[in-house]
Amino acid sequence: MPTLVSIFDLPSDVAKTVRKLKARGFDDLTTYSPAQFTEIEEAEDPKPSPVRIFTLIGGLSGVTLGFWFQIWASLEWPIKIAGKNFAAIPPFWIVGFELTILFGGFATLFGMLIVGGLYPKRLDKHYSQRFSAEEFGVVVNCEERDVAEIEALLREHSAKEVNLVAK
Amino acid sequence: MTPPPASAVADSMTSFRRPRDSQANIDIMAVTKGVQWPYLLALGIAILGVIQFFATVAYQTYWGFGVAGYQAPVFWGLYIVTFVFWIGIGHAGTLISAILFLFRAKWRNAVNRGAEALTVFAVITAALFPVLHLGRLWKLYFLVPYPNQRALWVNFKSPLLWDVFAINTYMLTSIVFFYVGLIPDIAMARDRATGIKKLAYTVLAVGWQGTGTQWKAHSRTVLHLSGLATPLVLSVHSVVSWDFAMSLVPGWHATIFAPYFVAGAVFGGFAMVINVLIPVRRIFGLERYITNYHFENMSRFILLTSTICGYAYGMEYFIAWYSGVEAERTSFWLRAFGPYWFSTWCMITFNVIFPQLLWFKKLRTNLPFLFVLCFFINIGMWFERYVIIITSLSRDYITGAWGLYIVSPVELSILVGSFCWFGMWFLLFLKAFPVIAISEIKELIIHGKEHGGAH
Repeated sequence: MPTLVSIFDLPSDVAKTVRKLKARGFDDLTTYSPAQFTEIEEAEDPKPSPVRIFTLIGGLSGVTLGFWFQIWASLEWPIKIAGKNFAAIPPFWIVGFELTILFGGFATLFGMLIVGGLYPKRLDKHYSQRFSAEEFGVVVNCEERDVAEIEALLREHSAKEVNLVAK
Repeated sequence: MTPPPASAVADSMTSFRRPRDSQANIDIMAVTKGVQWPYLLALGIAILGVIQFFATVAYQTYWGFGVAGYQAPVFWGLYIVTFVFWIGIGHAGTLISAILFLFRAKWRNAVNRGAEALTVFAVITAALFPVLHLGRLWKLYFLVPYPNQRALWVNFKSPLLWDVFAINTYMLTSIVFFYVGLIPDIAMARDRATGIKKLAYTVLAVGWQGTGTQWKAHSRTVLHLSGLATPLVLSVHSVVSWDFAMSLVPGWHATIFAPYFVAGAVFGGFAMVINVLIPVRRIFGLERYITNYHFENMSRFILLTSTICGYAYGMEYFIAWYSGVEAERTSFWLRAFGPYWFSTWCMITFNVIFPQLLWFKKLRTNLPFLFVLCFFINIGMWFERYVIIITSLSRDYITGAWGLYIVSPVELSILVGSFCWFGMWFLLFLKAFPVIAISEIKELIIHGKEHGGAH
């Protein structure tokens, strides 16, 4: 299966190209960008990132564990302190809050690693250090019959280089 | 274009002409390359300071806590003063990274990395002090709730335990935030490194390639971490302030403490960021990226938070008088005119009076002036904690139990050592990672290109 590797200078051109490719049904594509550009993210996948689910689950786990543990520990060895209830809720908010943030933060990190497929691995064949300079890449895998159409589309949207390679 | 035959299919990227690298990559990564003599000198001094720090810790651990000079009525001395100082320093980084990110203040991009690094190293430095303050270091595990034969748990109603959770959460979350922000830049460094550095960067970059999926996950992560870190940064110094405010000691038992401490932390933190970034910018030639505009914006924060601190100082005195409580009135009178008057007037002069000069734009953009001012602010902020802790403890309710606190050489050695410890980590960081968030700078550069240099 052929692969077209194209190089762009501007994120708006990348976003327009991706939208057009997707509209034509060429979904098997990857973009490479040296910085974060919302327009490219939205063109490639308009759905919100699932990282938010990780944050929510982490935060809820933290607050639940924080309160549960403090209440359980206070009742397991009950000592009257400052005339407060053994399981006094207001002072427990502090540790509950801190664990919400701690668990939420780490869950977000793990979410990013999982969703972004981030782990030490061999880089993509078509990745180039140009994409960590100031250039953008759009890599499209397609059928042989579509190569000409995709190449024309890429050039039409200001691709400064288009290279045809095998997958 | 006709699909090529199999034999003609070449490696995709080898056929591309080698492009010129991004100027931002070249300029900012240049900081990590080579060793300049001012750098080497500073690192040498820092390492010597760290050696004397650990030698002093060993001496204190062997002979006991008495060598630190702690005696009734002041058992919270320089270690706790310096602990609060360093925690405060650690606040600017998160404020710049998280809160200014949420406000979409793009000027933060040039200074956030350096400030985040300062946060991490300041909190790591601060975390040493509660341990040193224990005296018996090997009892450290008593601080955390752990299953034991007596089934006796820590006191969750104590602000000291809240502090354990707050500081550790802040330290770990700051490290996570710092690392997440670094990943794209580490990947950029990986693409240009060789040998052992390449291996290290490859592991730390966790396969980052800047794909759309990765950037989306990354930007959402930064947003969520900012959302989590914003209340966290406000809570941490509030919890630290409650170490004092939850007690009944005159001068400590005040409801204003939480906002007062948070404003003071941001104030001192920004001063430290300026104190560190001015020489870094000058030595490594980063004037193109860290400009007077950035320093002016940070100066505005300093002016704002200095005014809040001034209000808090004044309100403390007013409430002490207005409360009619004799012990409070005496405590505050003695702060200004008692044996520790010097520290109080240093605090007021350096933290409230001097920063008012920042109303003048000419001074806000005068870097030598800013450097000197921020140096005095750091001294003033250290004295603020000294005033709060030492004057209050040494002049408690019972006049017969009053005492005079004198700083011991061991404490001074630890204080100096802590600055060296902090400095050592920051200097090592400069040679390992980019001190400016390159991918965020490139975002601005590329936007500028797209809009004809409008950014």
